[in-house]
Amino acid sequence: MPGEEIHYLSASELAKRIESKKLSPVDLTQAYLDRSQKLGPRFNAYALLTPETALEQANAAEKEIQRGHYRGPLHGIPYAAKDLLAVKGLPTTWGAKPFANQVFDYNSTVIEHLNRVGAVMIGKASMIELAGGMGYRFASASLQGEARNPWDTTCWTCGSSSGSGAIVAAGLAAFAIGTETWGSIICPSAFCGVSGLRPTYGRVSRYGAMTLAPSMDKIGPMARSAEDCARIFAAIAGHDPKDRGTVPIDKGAFTFSPSMELHSRPLKIGWITNAWKSLEPGAARPVEAATKILRKYFSSLKNVTLPVGPWEEAGNIIVAAECAASFRSLIRSGRVSELTDPLGQIAGYVNEQYSAADYLQALKVREIAQKKMDSLFDTFDVIATAAQPIPATPLTLNLETDLAFPDPLGGIGNICGLPAMSVPCGFTEKNLPIGLQFVGRAGDDFAVIQAGRAFQSHTDWHKKHPRIH
Amino acid sequence: MGNNSDSAISRREFARRAALVSAAASLAPSNLLSSESLATPLPAQQPVNAPKLSPESQVEVESRIQSIFAQSGNRFSDAQKADIRRLATEAQPSLDRLRAFATDNGDGPGLYLKPLMEREKKPSPMPATPKPANTPKNS
Repeated sequence: MPGEEIHYLSASELAKRIESKKLSPVDLTQAYLDRSQKLGPRFNAYALLTPETALEQANAAEKEIQRGHYRGPLHGIPYAAKDLLAVKGLPTTWGAKPFANQVFDYNSTVIEHLNRVGAVMIGKASMIELAGGMGYRFASASLQGEARNPWDTTCWTCGSSSGSGAIVAAGLAAFAIGTETWGSIICPSAFCGVSGLRPTYGRVSRYGAMTLAPSMDKIGPMARSAEDCARIFAAIAGHDPKDRGTVPIDKGAFTFSPSMELHSRPLKIGWITNAWKSLEPGAARPVEAATKILRKYFSSLKNVTLPVGPWEEAGNIIVAAECAASFRSLIRSGRVSELTDPLGQIAGYVNEQYSAADYLQALKVREIAQKKMDSLFDTFDVIATAAQPIPATPLTLNLETDLAFPDPLGGIGNICGLPAMSVPCGFTEKNLPIGLQFVGRAGDDFAVIQAGRAFQSHTDWHKKHPRIH
Repeated sequence: MGNNSDSAISRREFARRAALVSAAASLAPSNLLSSESLATPLPAQQPVNAPKLSPESQVEVESRIQSIFAQSGNRFSDAQKADIRRLATEAQPSLDRLRAFATDNGDGPGLYLKPLMEREKKPSPMPATPKPANTPKNS
């Protein structure tokens, strides 16, 4: 369509056009590649662009569709994968200099799933080095440099799925794959004004993905709408014998059709009153407006408080101990000093010192938290709050000293493996996006998707995009 | 908005979280302490704005720092050593809070890498994979 910003269409809309043969996957892929080559460096969005394999995949998709073999809603849709997912024969740097030349000879399960449904990978998204596992003080903690926010290039995208956030926000691909151990999908989605789904722990295989904290690592989609996230999640979810952390076959898979929501239960939503100590004024106004929308369309909306406990403390120890084990050889060899960030160069040594008794205490606290949250979800289907209490922060900010606030929901949500979704809910006066977060019971990813879709059916924040010239 | 957490520890971008966390009472092997730590001068002054710790916690922090320096002290600049001291010190209150949380002997550790999805008596309100009302067209 002349003049139309096709690169900002949702994957669902693109799929309709591809299925009806009004849009060529090759043309679409080329358009995203051109845009990515032109704009990607501006945002430090990519670790690697893969035009040759992308066009090969797009040509294959186009031929199949022309022959009448349409695989489904991701067939011929271009995407980017966070650079911690193994892709056979391509560099997979984990965003870190010590792994700059790392190449795997196999695909991660997520990449295999996306290949199977005919999606087209156009590149590897930049990321914070080692997904932030060693700690970082500055946004520049990446082999690719600081990821710049398409809404304001003096601001950060948040991490660690920093490139994934920039790519979706800037319209460089239809969607991206991110990962979260603690905040790395929800925060970049909020800062970049995109929709992001953190699936229940164990619903998406981590086989072939960098291990940070094996009992907390999760992989999920970042896209233009909750519906897009649902379709991508349906493609990548499922039990995988190669990842013993995945849930059983009968609980792993996910299917999605928009029509299923017409017949689903009305959602009971709890508004969390103690998720954040305070909201920055710029964030408070859109969040307040979002609560009004929720109250209007969900008459059952009630306030709820998170249980009180040392959830963040438990999460800290779990992540630190598991990460120190995951990167033990990097620390012991001294090569951790090759990391970009000054904090990343030393924090691993401290994290290595955990005792088994403290780690097990953290795991006991995790189980208590899981039970408390499960009881809470007897009353509510989802609980909601601001995704972050602030908008995107300046690139130069010292994250360690200037950006510290308690995050009990992030702590409890991630140690319990709860699904969550961030959807855009407005903008600050400086035109920076603000996100609204829904969190559900473990296994009930459908509820958070349903909440996100319902919110987006009454708002159009997710259709806004930055002006990029 | 209220806040029930008194913790000053970090938040979302997971970076500092992994950094601010610290260690437990793992004492350094005495042979390592006796050799390396003596050879490596340590910046022993307390970090500015260091949290107030009990004497026991202070000893624990110090032993942790000594353990790190004994094993790897020659890798760090003085500034890095000071930073390690600060990280270890600032993390201790978080560790103390975790230890103070009452758990029973019978509380199980959530160590089997599964979320709480298989409740014994409370079936999930919906199946994990909801049945679509109509045959999905595109999924």
